[in-house]
Amino acid sequence: MKQFLLRNIFLWLFLTLPIFAFSQGKVNGNITDSEDGVPLAAVNVVVKGTTSGTTSDFDGNYEIEVSSFPSTLVFSSLGYETKELEVSGPTTLNVLLAPSATGLDEVIITGLASSVKRSNAANAVATVSAEELAGVTPPQTLDGALQGKFAGALITKSSGAPGGGISVRLRGVTSVNGNAQPLYIVDGVYVNNSSIFAPGLNDVSRAAAGGASVSSNQTQDNPSNRIADLNPDDIENIEILKGASAAAIYGARAAAGVIIITTKKGKAGKTKISFSQAIGSNSVINLRGLRNYTAEIAENGFGAGQGALFTQAQNDGSLVDYEKEIFGESGFISNTNVSASGGTEKTQFFAGFTNNEEAGIVKNTGYDKKSIRLNLNHKFWDDRANLSLTTNYINSSSNRGFFNNDNSGTTIGVSLTSTPPWAKLFPDENGNYPDNPYGASNPLQTRDLVTNNEKIERFIIGGTMDLMLYQKERSNLKLILSGGVDYFSLVTTAIFPKELQFMKPSNGGLNGLTAQGTTQNKDANYSAFLVHNIYTANNLNFTTQAGITKQTFSQNTIRNTTSNLIASETNLDQGANVSVSQFRLEQEDFGFFIQEEVNYQDKLIGTIGLRGDKSSNNGDANKLFYYPKASGAANLHNFDFWNLDVLSQFKLRVAYGQAGNFAPNGALFTAYNNSLIDGIVGIVVPNTLGDPDIQPETQKELEFGIDAGLLENRISLEFSYYIKKVDDLILQANNEPSSGFNFRFANAGNLENKGVELGINASVFANRDFSWDTGILFFKNKSKITKLDVDPFDTGGFGTGLGTFRIEEGKSVTQIVGNDGDGNIIVLGDAEPDFQMTFNNNFRYKDFTLSFLWHWKKGGDNINLSNLLFDFGQTSGDYDDFTLDPSGTLSNGDYRIDSFFAGNAAAFVEDAGYLRLREIGLYYSLPQNFLEKAFKGYVSNIRVGLSGNNLINIFDYNSYDPEVSNFGSNGLSSGVEVTPFPSSKRFMFHFSADF
Amino acid sequence: MKTLNKLLIVTLIFLAFGSCEVQDGKNLNGADTTSISEDVSRGELGDAIAGILSDMRERIETQVDATSVLGREYWRIQSSDPRWTGDLLTGLLDDNTFYTTAPYSARYATVKDINLVLEGLVNSTADFTEAEKAAARGLVNTLKAHELLMVLNAQYQNGIRIEVSDPDNLGSFVSYDEALSSLSSILSDASSDLLNAGASFPFPIPSGFEDFNTPSTFDEFNKALAARIAVYQGNYTEALALLSESFLDLGGDLNSGAYFTFSLTGADLSNQLFFAQNSTIANARIAHPTFITDAEAGDTRLNKAPLRDAPLTADGLTGENDVFIYQSNVDPVGIIRNEELILLYAEANHITDPTEAVNAINIIRNAAGLPNYSGGTAPADLVNEILQQRRYSLFAEGGHRWIDVRRFDRLGDLPLDRPGDGTAEQFPIPQNENQ
Repeated sequence: MKQFLLRNIFLWLFLTLPIFAFSQGKVNGNITDSEDGVPLAAVNVVVKGTTSGTTSDFDGNYEIEVSSFPSTLVFSSLGYETKELEVSGPTTLNVLLAPSATGLDEVIITGLASSVKRSNAANAVATVSAEELAGVTPPQTLDGALQGKFAGALITKSSGAPGGGISVRLRGVTSVNGNAQPLYIVDGVYVNNSSIFAPGLNDVSRAAAGGASVSSNQTQDNPSNRIADLNPDDIENIEILKGASAAAIYGARAAAGVIIITTKKGKAGKTKISFSQAIGSNSVINLRGLRNYTAEIAENGFGAGQGALFTQAQNDGSLVDYEKEIFGESGFISNTNVSASGGTEKTQFFAGFTNNEEAGIVKNTGYDKKSIRLNLNHKFWDDRANLSLTTNYINSSSNRGFFNNDNSGTTIGVSLTSTPPWAKLFPDENGNYPDNPYGASNPLQTRDLVTNNEKIERFIIGGTMDLMLYQKERSNLKLILSGGVDYFSLVTTAIFPKELQFMKPSNGGLNGLTAQGTTQNKDANYSAFLVHNIYTANNLNFTTQAGITKQTFSQNTIRNTTSNLIASETNLDQGANVSVSQFRLEQEDFGFFIQEEVNYQDKLIGTIGLRGDKSSNNGDANKLFYYPKASGAANLHNFDFWNLDVLSQFKLRVAYGQAGNFAPNGALFTAYNNSLIDGIVGIVVPNTLGDPDIQPETQKELEFGIDAGLLENRISLEFSYYIKKVDDLILQANNEPSSGFNFRFANAGNLENKGVELGINASVFANRDFSWDTGILFFKNKSKITKLDVDPFDTGGFGTGLGTFRIEEGKSVTQIVGNDGDGNIIVLGDAEPDFQMTFNNNFRYKDFTLSFLWHWKKGGDNINLSNLLFDFGQTSGDYDDFTLDPSGTLSNGDYRIDSFFAGNAAAFVEDAGYLRLREIGLYYSLPQNFLEKAFKGYVSNIRVGLSGNNLINIFDYNSYDPEVSNFGSNGLSSGVEVTPFPSSKRFMFHFSADF
Repeated sequence: MKTLNKLLIVTLIFLAFGSCEVQDGKNLNGADTTSISEDVSRGELGDAIAGILSDMRERIETQVDATSVLGREYWRIQSSDPRWTGDLLTGLLDDNTFYTTAPYSARYATVKDINLVLEGLVNSTADFTEAEKAAARGLVNTLKAHELLMVLNAQYQNGIRIEVSDPDNLGSFVSYDEALSSLSSILSDASSDLLNAGASFPFPIPSGFEDFNTPSTFDEFNKALAARIAVYQGNYTEALALLSESFLDLGGDLNSGAYFTFSLTGADLSNQLFFAQNSTIANARIAHPTFITDAEAGDTRLNKAPLRDAPLTADGLTGENDVFIYQSNVDPVGIIRNEELILLYAEANHITDPTEAVNAINIIRNAAGLPNYSGGTAPADLVNEILQQRRYSLFAEGGHRWIDVRRFDRLGDLPLDRPGDGTAEQFPIPQNENQ
């Protein structure tokens, strides 16, 4: 079909290629920056109300043909205020453009193939620029770098393990059991963000008891998510469509929001080489601390004779703080980035290479990534056609250690809970580790000998071709064809050598285990759009677009685990017991969309659109699901009646849209798992009953807002209120277990999110020597289950005795419930923050810049089970404090243990609010005249600086970091803590130069 | 021109949709359950039955641990899960956590495996003879009764659902007594099928059932289960009749019987009831101190709880003996053994024929290195002795002690270790049953 379509379009193209052109008179001139007088290249110059336009060349010169005088010329360029000038006849017109203090003129993407100026947008689309993303301090992963940068998101790291594992929730929880992570699109390529678990880990930890062959709930092993692969240095800008009102045009995959990433492109002109090197180190944010042991505590808590051992160790100075020993490392960080960009009027390129190396705060952990990018742009056929290609190769390797929940006492985290400082765990001079008598594993041995590695090889390749099919003075028609492929292979390796305490057969171990998981994933997307523009004489513009899209997804994971190994061999065939499992996924989606935008003189802007989608993942693969949208914006300040000069911009906007969310793969089916007994293969029923009639979830979002600019837009204000409803929630609802199935998929409920977002940006001072820009964001969200067709059920916790999330009609989606000690189940908390605020500042004094970002999350609760495990191990740092028990009689440790025995979960639910200095950076640029003298013009910029990430963290939470998730990044159960990999802060030194 | 555009757009969309049919999604990762229930083939029957026998082993470690801890046979210590030494010793059981839900769900999952086969046998177009169908029915229904009995032992007076073949229309809960009768009749129907089932099973039987790998020998396993139920019902006459047709062998190996087997190969399961000796608090089974102190001198069954190198202390509990029934993580686990049948025989006789009861008791005592029974032969005395022998003979094999003291209303006799500890008569109905 696709080829046929293309052929037709090309045929049509050649038939209509004749050039339409008019010439009445020429206007020319030079365009420069009003502040520093630098010539501005690539400024768009358009005759207002027409499509005739040109761009300035590298030296800022332009020449434009004007068909009739008088006319208005519009000069616009990204980052500069747009200027309109009237011309009455052919002339030379030199133009000064002022840098734009606000982003009103930037262009944001509204349709799949069209864009709109921010000042005309009807949605609160958040934008994060390259500077904001990675300019202050380099982030470890892309999604992590978004924290605190825009309103309306709750972004949570699952752990401090190197290499990512981050949950991004836009405007509240949008799905309980379906995908709740946004769709990522990089340069038009739909990018995969799965978290794929590695085999072998659960065989050892038994966190999801039952072994790898049976359980589908493998999410306690802390896999990373694949957005971590993208290189933040390559990114030009990120747009965030937070809900259906903005994202409807993306249809059935857009309910959790869409994050549109544009990578850096070359600019015509002199080839520019940029080099930057950052080195630094990381260290743990917070340790839980050591209990203040006495011989009595040792004797009572650890058994007879332990008091004497403690005293002896204390006397000979051999007490060891194992927490510090494990988490006390300073990891070395090195980020190197080289890029080259440039090109001619016709062809531009951007090439970038990045090498990141980061060691973790635990020995033998770390993350290395290499990313190579080549972006090309080529104009041809008299600039009527534009071909743009983006290619990215990523190679990464992360060593993630062995952490989180377990049922075997083998993870480093869990073994620390019961290991006292007088334990003798260091290896002898020959490298033999003693068994830890206080737990199933010697954490030092586990740290030093276990391998848990993820390796990625990934190609993301996209291409877009724009063809101006015809162009007249007042109308044009463009064809846009685009396609992209995201291919990756993920190889996970888990190696547990037989020397490990818990691998020794004498300790009941498996005598060594090696496991390898291999995933081949290929996602492809293709689309074809037509965009038609009409400009009428009185400045009424119509933009019509229509198109079709197709996406295919293919994933194949093979997991092998071998135990009872030969010597120290790790190949999968070097052992007695080999097991294999395979998971395949194939999906095909198909959609169309149409959209009409009307712009009346930038005063009133309206859009309506419709998307239709079908998918092999629906009960009826050929049934179309429709997602309409409509929006309107009124720029009151553009009307003649507007006379409030202090309000330089005042826009009212409203937008409505629908978007969908597919059922998780497999929800349609009830498929047997395989079994084996005595060499006889068999089939056993799965945990979850499928629903052959499952439908996608439908989200309906209505958003209102006001955008205002004061004092010539030096102060800008953006306010939004949204109501987001999700119907036909796909629930992996609890099922009567006597049916043989613990869960069943069903469309069985509705939920609602309501929230406000407020942003204020101000350019407080701006002159030659000093400037200060500041911004404040405030946002909050409230969610509710508005309808539930199944009985209330618990999800994402360990039962009401320890605190659990509960889906219940009329209650918050993220409520945490638990027993109150009298056997009643009461609400103990809510993972939803009360609100979040960020405070961002940029100061420039001469050649110095100082930027910092504070992020305050008020409220939001976690279920902290680390405390209890440390209490049971008698090792909690605050065990002997008296701050918890209201009656003041029990120590904290005893109080928590007592609560647990009394069936009272209240002590395990803790406020997870925080105030963080997310980022801070201080940079100095060498003066231009010095560079001029020293390097004779070969070096245009040299910058040095210091930066830090999470340097100040204020929280009342009683563990490493309130940002944590035992169950990984998807779903709503983030915020459950079971002995995670602690978070770290980073400190970096920077050097960069542009040539 | 405008019209042309619109036409083009419409044509484009029409073209696209005319030719882009999406194929229905397929599950690529396993056979659909309907492949068995709608028409089971000869080959599939073997797969489905092996699946049932495999699924019966799922979560038995949790089932055995939880019931054994309730019966104070041993303590289960796990540093990463405090509920073993919490809820299960305080007796305040949670209706939505693993020790309640996991064994319950696992047993009913096997029942589902069985019901799918039973539906498949009705709908099958394969060339099964009536005898072959009877063989399959007899086998799977016997196993179904076993699985439901495991659930009933935990749920006790809550009762259980027996009829669960339609997930959208589950049968109602029936009382404990009614459920025992239903299980008896399922077993007796299964027995009739087995007797009309020809000489062999038309599918492979795992080695754990090597003594019961023909329909007629499998019936001896069926009768053994039925006898256990009859004793639970207090129906000693029925029990004696069933025992006589079971594999009871007063002179035979106490360990003969049916077993779950394990291996480390592929999708097979390992025996999670095995822990090495001297395990740390990460994961240990520590014999309750009274198991040692209540024993008669010289009882060789104390080998099941060898002395540790060092005592283990956790959560206010200190024990010196491991539970060490299985020597490795692939050792088989008994489903029902001759030793239990002899004790059932003793109990069934203890009122009507005390001498025969004492004979049976002495078989057990002698095997444990103890002299003949010398106590009173009044029913009350014999019950004490039989419960004592059952406690040591069936130690850590599936909560027998908890069930036994409950049967004789002696839960209050169980030792409590810490202030606040208590006993539980039964597990709560899992929350998700919505009762």
